[in-house]
Formats: sequence, C-alpha cells, structure tokens
Amino acid sequence: MSGNREQVFPTRMTLGVMKTKLKGANQGYSLLKRKSEALTKRFRDITKRIDDAKQKMGRVMQTAAFSLAEVQYATGENIGYQVQESVSNARFKVKARQENVSGVYLPQFESYIESEINDFKLTGLGRGGQQVQRAKEIYSKAVETLVELASLQTAFIILDEVIKVTNRRVNAIEHVIIPRTKNTIDYINSELDELDREEFYRLKKVQEKKQIETERLDAEMKLKREQMEKEEAEKGINKTTSSAQPATDLVADQEDDVIF
Amino acid sequence: MAEKRNLIAVIADEDTTTGLLLAGIGQITPETQEKNFFVYHEGKSSKEEILKAFQDFTETRDDIAILLINQHIAEHIRNSVDNYTNAFPAILEIPSKDHPYDPEKDSVLKRVRRLFGE
Amino acid sequence: MEGVYFNIDNGFVEGVVRGYRNGLLTNNQYINLTQCDTLEDLKLQLSSTDYSNFLSSVATENLTTTIIQTFLSDKLFNEFNYIKDQTSGITKKFMDYITYGYMIDNVALMITGTIHERNKAEILQRCHPLGWFDTLPTLTVATDLQSLYDTVLIDTPLAPYFLDCFDNADELDDLNIEIIKNKLYKAYLQDFNNFVTEKLPAPANEIMSELLAFEADRRSINISLNSLQSDDIDSNLKRQLLPEFGKLYPIETNRLIEANDFELIRTAINNVQEYKGILDSGNLDDHFYKIEMDLCRDAFTQQFSVSVIWAWMKSKEQEIRNITWIAECIAQNQRERINNYISVY
Repeated sequence: MSGNREQVFPTRMTLGVMKTKLKGANQGYSLLKRKSEALTKRFRDITKRIDDAKQKMGRVMQTAAFSLAEVQYATGENIGYQVQESVSNARFKVKARQENVSGVYLPQFESYIESEINDFKLTGLGRGGQQVQRAKEIYSKAVETLVELASLQTAFIILDEVIKVTNRRVNAIEHVIIPRTKNTIDYINSELDELDREEFYRLKKVQEKKQIETERLDAEMKLKREQMEKEEAEKGINKTTSSAQPATDLVADQEDDVIF
Repeated sequence: MAEKRNLIAVIADEDTTTGLLLAGIGQITPETQEKNFFVYHEGKSSKEEILKAFQDFTETRDDIAILLINQHIAEHIRNSVDNYTNAFPAILEIPSKDHPYDPEKDSVLKRVRRLFGE
Repeated sequence: MEGVYFNIDNGFVEGVVRGYRNGLLTNNQYINLTQCDTLEDLKLQLSSTDYSNFLSSVATENLTTTIIQTFLSDKLFNEFNYIKDQTSGITKKFMDYITYGYMIDNVALMITGTIHERNKAEILQRCHPLGWFDTLPTLTVATDLQSLYDTVLIDTPLAPYFLDCFDNADELDDLNIEIIKNKLYKAYLQDFNNFVTEKLPAPANEIMSELLAFEADRRSINISLNSLQSDDIDSNLKRQLLPEFGKLYPIETNRLIEANDFELIRTAINNVQEYKGILDSGNLDDHFYKIEMDLCRDAFTQQFSVSVIWAWMKSKEQEIRNITWIAECIAQNQRERINNYISVY
C-alpha cells in the first residue's frame, strides 16, 4: 500500500496540496468520462453507419459495374484502354472540411466536380456515346457514395484513436492517479498520526522522567527529613516517625493521577 | 494538412478503374506524368508492384485524400493494409466486378468487429 | 444470269458461311442460356452448340466474362481468317474492306498509346486481330500526323482516307484522335460503299449498300447525338464526320449537321421511315442492333452473294455481345436485365 504513493514529505502542507489534487483528479475524471461517453456514442453511431454504408457500397458498385457492361455491349469493344489514355485532369475531386465533435476535429470529405474539365467527351462518339454518358453518371454517383464512406471511415479511425487516448486517461485517473493520491493522503495522515503518537510518547517519557526525578527528590527529602527526625529523636523521643510514612504514599497516588 | 489532399487514387482491376476514371477521378500530374491510378492485371501484376503503388499513394504523395483499392487486390497486401492506421489518406476497400464485396475481409470492419467484441 | 458464274469462285465460301450461319445461336438456345445460374452452367450450355468444346481448358474458378468473350472472339477471328483464305479476286478485296474498319481502330489506338508513351507491346496486345497489318508496330515512332502518314500509313490501304484529315492536325492530342478516327471512318465507309456499288456483282451490291447505308446512318445519328454535349464540334466539323450516303443523306444529314439540340435531331431522324421513333423509347443502341440484325437476317435470303459474309460477321459479333451480356448478367446477378439480348434466328 505504501509502495504506490508519491514521494513527499508528510507535512500538513503537502496534505493540503494532495487533497486539492485529489479533488482535481475527481473532477477531471468525471469530465473525461463524460467526453469519452459522448465520443463513444458518436463512435457507435458512425460504426453502424459504416456497416450500412459498406453494404450499400457493395450494391452501388455492382450497379456501376453493370453500367460498364452495358457500355461494352453498346460499343462492342473494351473502352478501358481508351479511357485510361484519355485521362489528363481530375474532374471529380474532394475537399476536407472539419467538424467538431466534443473537441475532436473530424474530417469530412466533400466531393465537388470541376465541370469545365471533361476528359472523355468524345469517347464513344461514333457508337455507344449514350451508354458512356450513363456510365459516367452512375459512376459519379458511386464515387460520391465512396467519398461519403471514406468520411465515415476516417472519422472512425480518428475517433478510435481519440477514444483510446481518452479512455487511457480516464483509466489512468481512475486506477492510478486517484488511488495514488489517496494513498499519499493516507500515508501523510498516518505519518502525521505517527508523529502525534511520537509526540505523545515523548511527552509521556518526559513525564516519566519528571516523576522519577520527583520521586528521587522526594526520597532525598524524606531521607533528609528522616535524618532530621533522627537527629531530633536523638535529641528527644521518637514522636513523629509514624506520621511521615503516609505522607509519601499520598504523593505517589497523586503522580498516578497525572498520568491518566 | 488536409487542404492539399483533393484527389482520389485507385488501385483496381481494369473494369473498376475504367468506371472510376469515367466518373472523372483520374489525374496525370503534368510535371511528372504521375498517374493517380494503378491498373492491376490478374496474374500479371506482382505483389511488389501493388505494394509500390500502395506506398506511393499512401506515403509518397501528399495530394491524395482517398485511396480506393479493390478488395481482392488488398488481399495480396493484406498486411500492409491492416497495419495502415493513418487517417489521411483514407483507404477504402471496394468490390470489383468479379469479386463481390466481403465484409469479413475488410480491414476497417475487422477493427469495428474487434472493438465490439463480436 | 448474274448468279451463273458465282459458284466458280465463291460457291465454296458461301457454303461455308451458310454453314456458319446455321451455327448461330437460336432463340431457344438463348433462352437456355438465360436459365443458367452460374458461368459454369453457361459453359456447359454452350458446349452443346456450335462452340462444342468451348472453354473446356478453362477451370471453373477462372471463368470470367472477359475470358468467355476472348474465347468467343477468337473463334470468330479464326473462322473469318479461314474464309478469307478461301477467297480470291473481288471477294478477297471485299473481305479486305471489312478489315479496314478494324484497322482504323487499331491505328487510333496505337496513336493514343504513342502520345502517352505507353509500352508498345501492351498496346499491340489490345489491337483488334482483324485489323492487324505488318507495319502496325512501327506506328509508335510517329509523333505527328504528317510523319505518321509519310513513314507508315502510306503503305497501307488506309492511306487514301488519311488524305482528308490533314487540314488542322499538326500536333496530336486526344480530341484530334477521336476526330481523326471518325473522319477516317467516314472516308472508309464512303470508299467501301463505292467499291460495293461499282465492283460487286448483283445482288451483292444492292444488299451491301443497304447494309452500309445503315452503318452510315448509325454513325451519323450517333455522332450528332454525342456531339451535343461537346462544344468542340461545330457544324463545320460535323460536316466532315457524317458519311455522305445512306438513307439520311443528303437532306436529313444536312439537318443533323445544323441541329444543335435533341428535338431537332429527333425531327430529322423521324423523317426517315426506317428510323422513325427510334429516339422516342428505349435504348438507341439496342434499336440499332435490332435493325442491323434484321437486315443481316434478310441478307441471307438472297443466294449468290458475298454479302452473306458481312451479314454472318455482324451476326456473329452480335452473338458475342449477346453471350457476353448474358454472362455478365449471370456473373453480376442482374437477372432482371438478362433478356436484353437481341436474337433474330
């Protein structure tokens, strides 16, 4: 228990600092926990949407692939090569916008079309031009779906990372910082108690010493008195010896009272 | 950093590439004659070539926002795809004509499932 | 009387072609094909047709529509070349003419590849086998049209067609190539038409000019429609692209040249009985294929004519498209469209 604590001097001041720290940690914990929950909610939402979108993509791409089959049917040849060779500038582009979710910036891809660029306007001029046009439209739509999905997926990856970090922090606070601070506080408290006890013991010792000293003094006094009495007795008769004895007992009783 | 990235790159078989190019995503950089698409030929393109294109699109070039890759091609370089965790460019596994989409193989979906312990 | 001497030179060829024609898939066979659930089934069905041991060397897991199409096409090329080897004189010339169309495609393809400095071997692989000529690979050395013409094309049968295309193209770019291709095609169709009407004996000349007229009209209509979206083709340029014969020529062709919106094109086309209503419903290309197939089927009704070669050729191409289409529908699970093929036999 005492192994997991901060290296501090167990003073009342440190105790105060530690208490503030614990309070801060508790506050941070609840805040982060709430953030993590918000993000996780969002995350689950996105995950579900990714799942859906991926299924949708399967269908969309299939339709698109089929439109290409129609082109092939109409032109009677594979236009793939011609298309590849006609490429020069991208018409379909994306830009990334950022969206703020609980302090996390999630990129959002947005597709846009540069309408003045058209690399394939003459493809299929002599034959199958309509089909090519249609395939172009269908594929443009398909790519839009893909871009949407890419946004979700990027958000997924970033959120995943952020949630991991947040959870790590939450866990760190919950399982490390808070117990550690508590331990430290306990430690300081126990140290302080120990100090108190030591102090008390010291006082007790002092008292003991004092008592011994007093007893010694008493004994001396008694001795002196006895001597004096002896001397007096020697001078006169043994009159006061019996009264001196109960007086010492009384002092001893009184000392006991001081202790408890 | 995301501002510069506005292209969609493709690693796919001929048909998929053709379609996506028709949609207008293709770009050949005028200075370097670099294409943002890589056409995979079944049985002809080697794993190294795919890997090179993949690295080129994901690491070397900084103008690509999204990389589309046919799932069956991603299978060839599954390790690299699975280990890729950057947000930019986003990698998207897409189906091809002859290979319908299989959610079980998708790197991202695998992560989704793992996260929810399914 | 015209048929009397026909069999001396062409009897065998016609016989072979008619044999091939009987091998064309029939309606029933198509229906069987559309019932298939997998490409493997399709392969099995095809093996009971003229394609007998078709694809038997291809394993099931490798079966794709692309492979099927390649095999089908190969069969057509082999048959075509076989017939071509059996012909002589005018008929051989006629078959040469058929190949010129594919040559134009190949030349255009080579030039496109050359501009982008692509691997020569890769481009050659994609060339149409029927349009192959010996100097095709050397096309890649050319960088502008003039040198292309001077060094390579002058020795090919395409040379006269290129003469028309020299006015504006010094530097080759993609737009030019598509335009050049269509200009070449126009020149080719006109030349073919002249050859057919002047050199071929009756009744082949009549049938062929009918078929070529359709080919020309199809190009005219397609180009007119497809150039609507493009600002680069003005009526002047369009005039150089539309063939100057056919049922649309001259009155409707002129209208098409001037037409700059869909309605005007439709009005022009509707004036010709054969194409009336073609733009009103359905898919234009499907309509054309249907008309083409009807013409081809009718072409077989006349005997003593080399036009059966063309008719068979076109029917076979349609058959390949049909099978590819059906295979595509099966492979991509789009069964609701599977009956979209065109069958007339």
